[in-house]
Amino acid sequence: MTELRFLSPSQCAEGSTASPLRRALDGAPEQVRDLSLQGVLELRGDIARVEAGEGEELVRLSPRRGFLFTPGDPFEAVARVRAAGVLAYDSTGALAGLALEGEQLMRRLTDLELTKLPAAGPFARVSALVLRDEGERFRVYVPQELGHDVALAVLDALAGLELAP
Amino acid sequence: MRLGPQPRELIDRSQRVLFTFDGRAAGGYTGDTIGSALYASGQRVFSRSFKYHRPRGLLCCSGHCPNCLMTVDSVPNVRVCVEPIRAGAVVEPQNVWGSLDRDALAVTDKIGGPFTPVGFYYRTMIRPRFMWPLYEKVLRNLAGLGKVDERHHGHSRYDVEHRRARVLVVGGGQSGRAAALAAATRGPGVVLVDEGMRLRGAELEGVEVLAPARALGIWEGGLVPVDAGGVLYRFRAERIVVATGALEQPLVFPGNDLVGVMLPDGVRRLIRDFAIRPASRAVVLASDDDALEVADELREAGVAVPRVVDLRTAPLGRIEAKGRRGRVSAAVLDGRAVECDLVVASAGRQPSYSLLAQAGARVEYEPSRGIFVPAELPAGFEALGAVTGEGCATVHPLRSSGARNGDKSFVCVCEDVTTKDVDRAIAEGFDSIELSKRYTTVTMGPCQGKLCQLASIRLYARTTGVSEATVGTTTARPPWAPVELGLLAGPHHEPARRSSIHFRHEEAGATIQWAGPWKRPYAYGEHPEDEVRAVHESLGVIDVSTLGKILVEGPQAVELLERLYPNRFGDMKPGRIRYGVITSDGGRIMDDGTIARLADDLFYVTTTSTGADAVTAWFEWWNAVWGYDAEIVNVTGALAAVNLAGPRAREALSRLVDDPDDVAGDAFRYLDAKELDVAGVPCLALRIGFVGELGYELHFASPAGEHLWDRLVAEGAWPFGLEPQRVLRLEKAHIIVGQDTDSESNLLSAGMSWLPKLEKDDFVGKLAVEHVARREEVERLVGFTMEEDVVPAEGAQVVIEGRPGGRVTSARRSEAVGAVIGLAWLPPERCEDGTRFEIRVDRRTVGARVRHGAFYDASGARMRA
Ligand code: FES
Repeated sequence: MTELRFLSPSQCAEGSTASPLRRALDGAPEQVRDLSLQGVLELRGDIARVEAGEGEELVRLSPRRGFLFTPGDPFEAVARVRAAGVLAYDSTGALAGLALEGEQLMRRLTDLELTKLPAAGPFARVSALVLRDEGERFRVYVPQELGHDVALAVLDALAGLELAP
Repeated sequence: MRLGPQPRELIDRSQRVLFTFDGRAAGGYTGDTIGSALYASGQRVFSRSFKYHRPRGLLCCSGHCPNCLMTVDSVPNVRVCVEPIRAGAVVEPQNVWGSLDRDALAVTDKIGGPFTPVGFYYRTMIRPRFMWPLYEKVLRNLAGLGKVDERHHGHSRYDVEHRRARVLVVGGGQSGRAAALAAATRGPGVVLVDEGMRLRGAELEGVEVLAPARALGIWEGGLVPVDAGGVLYRFRAERIVVATGALEQPLVFPGNDLVGVMLPDGVRRLIRDFAIRPASRAVVLASDDDALEVADELREAGVAVPRVVDLRTAPLGRIEAKGRRGRVSAAVLDGRAVECDLVVASAGRQPSYSLLAQAGARVEYEPSRGIFVPAELPAGFEALGAVTGEGCATVHPLRSSGARNGDKSFVCVCEDVTTKDVDRAIAEGFDSIELSKRYTTVTMGPCQGKLCQLASIRLYARTTGVSEATVGTTTARPPWAPVELGLLAGPHHEPARRSSIHFRHEEAGATIQWAGPWKRPYAYGEHPEDEVRAVHESLGVIDVSTLGKILVEGPQAVELLERLYPNRFGDMKPGRIRYGVITSDGGRIMDDGTIARLADDLFYVTTTSTGADAVTAWFEWWNAVWGYDAEIVNVTGALAAVNLAGPRAREALSRLVDDPDDVAGDAFRYLDAKELDVAGVPCLALRIGFVGELGYELHFASPAGEHLWDRLVAEGAWPFGLEPQRVLRLEKAHIIVGQDTDSESNLLSAGMSWLPKLEKDDFVGKLAVEHVARREEVERLVGFTMEEDVVPAEGAQVVIEGRPGGRVTSARRSEAVGAVIGLAWLPPERCEDGTRFEIRVDRRTVGARVRHGAFYDASGARMRA
């Protein structure tokens, strides 16, 4: 039985992986941080059976679909979730993640209602998963192949608000 | 000329601001608009009219008419009467040949009138048809507004901000402000939008004030875009209060467009806001108390006012403005001339209901007051103040339009439409206001009906003898105020998909091109054939991360795939790969790729680069219909992929894996799938051969893209791009779905009759494939070689006995084959191996011959090596 190791960046040799945003965010202001290589699992099945571990965050998109954000090794988390009878896939490599600060910045990039997050919807003209942390701190996850352009759009929006050079 | 300090003036006389106007130095004060500064310095002609090039001066001073449109800092059609002055601005007149005061094209007014009646273009310029491009060019130069300067990009940036509000108030007059303040006492989230300068920087407790800013329209779902200069706010509000007030309506009389004919509010603004004495001698023709008061203000400003007429009580039989060189010199009232350089004239106020109408409010005519008022507001909307009709009334705006030998009477100053034009349109049978609008273009100009809708309706009613209520209004459409297209478009971001290896290609100097939604390398040098040769003779590597990649997992995964594809998967062993083609219900080819069985209940499906999303959706849709216990997971972005191909592929790979025996011939056969760690990166390796040489597709976690690419290049693999790949696959006669096939292509005609397993109970498109098999074949996709060394264009016509007989879908010059080769659709009777046909190339026909099978390595020995 395959363990789908080829999906997991954490299974690659040390130093062999890199964030899709590292060029775009080189020298970016502090309102923007790169979350791309933080572990995330795509879940399929009866999501109610998934128990989030310490520091983990379960985001339900529907009763049978969701994401599990994990600070630990996502490859191990996949095994744990699968053992609970839910299909899990390491999506760490699929998503580019951005931590952003500022409601106005967000409003320049998405029409999602910022008081009703998490939600999936458009962000900088691509589909995104948007989450809200405390205050005006947000996390945005987009397909990694679009991440570079999204990061540039974020920096451009910051420049429009005169928050970035 | 400036007056002494006025109590509410907006200007700061201590701060001079300099700019250039028409190449000359000009100046004003902070707080001025460009228009007020120019007026104060004596400028009276601000524009030339759309069609007749008549001189036009300030009319409304509130951004509603077309009379002050100029080009400012290369941005055309800026209304300078509301454009704040700024240091260094370059202001230029537009739609002028010569100068504003002497425009050569004014000749159209003098002699062109009889030749340019309404509908003139439609009737005259249609013959001969081939002349239209020339007509169009000439007309565009003669008529029209400003020109876009393509070298200049106007605002340095445009932003869009998505906003939500509990209450959005549009209009900052007394009613709007009161409504906003009242709403603010009930909680936060109140925004007030006003187009005027007065509220700029104003503070209303608990209210966010956006001014100057214009609500452009109201769309479905209560979307209200607001133009605030370089930012477009897209508001969605729980409640929208419209307090847009009322608009002064011009009177229609001969000479009503002369420079110096102004609306009362425009005059009031010049005096109050900018401390300007607007003229020396004025005649006031008022239809309400507000307009009458302007007479007093004029006198206080030192303007002589020899005649004031209240049209409500003393209706004049005949009004006419006389002019010299386009400027008012006298008002002729019932035959009596009164010398003046300003005629302040208004027919009264009409509620500014357009936004409400866009939102769905019904609009009805009130004959007693001569105005249209909004009725039956949709839920969530409120109208307050003058927009409801409060305090509004108009007199009949049409005055003495039937003058013989008199000047023109303009119903619409934007489009230069006269009363005569409207009469003529009615006489020609344009018997509804909507049709007439399209024919005469009245209400279709920059004011969007603000100053001409009422007059045109009332003229229409009078001429046709029906009531204004029957005539009705034209449809109110956004935008209510003109807006720069750049602002509507927003920031220029066109997101491109890039593989995780993309920047290595750029660093290697590849030519990058769009390939569907992806940016991909076309080739790495000027000679793609070098890259082809490297693959044939040594080792090449191409980034194929763009391939769609889908996991299908579950106890019924195999049933799902068996039903989605025409071919079989139930008999595949884990670790094996099969080529698959997806067909639609109609049996048409939709997409193709490989299907690897990773476990009994787990398959790895690849699709074309543009097909991933559509195929995923197709799978999910059918799975929902059939209800199989299988999950479909699109892992396209999660995985990078490269194809390592060439005679040296095995040798290079063996140096990068832990155990070289893992990739030895028998341990890793053609069409095997295997998990391998390559250079420390766990990969799913697929032994397949799209490019016709021994090859391995390595699929692995995207973040390791650059690392693995670097290692493969270090092993001597030549990067090759899309163009060499197209040559290589064509040498093998491998099709590209979407290029060699179209929406009509089916498996049988595309030469894949071996693929559908008709003995299966069912698969999507089975009925259609069976039907096609019974039907007479129409065309077939075959390979060909050219008789000459010319490459036909993709899409080139196949010629058979002098008639069109098919089309070329792909063609390239192949060094390895030693000929130009390609694929083409031909009639079945012409598909025998070696049959000659012709292809049109550069206006001649060139011979070609049908060739069956692969052009290169026909036995497949090289890729199976
Ligand atoms: S005078 Fe400027 S828009 Fe009317």
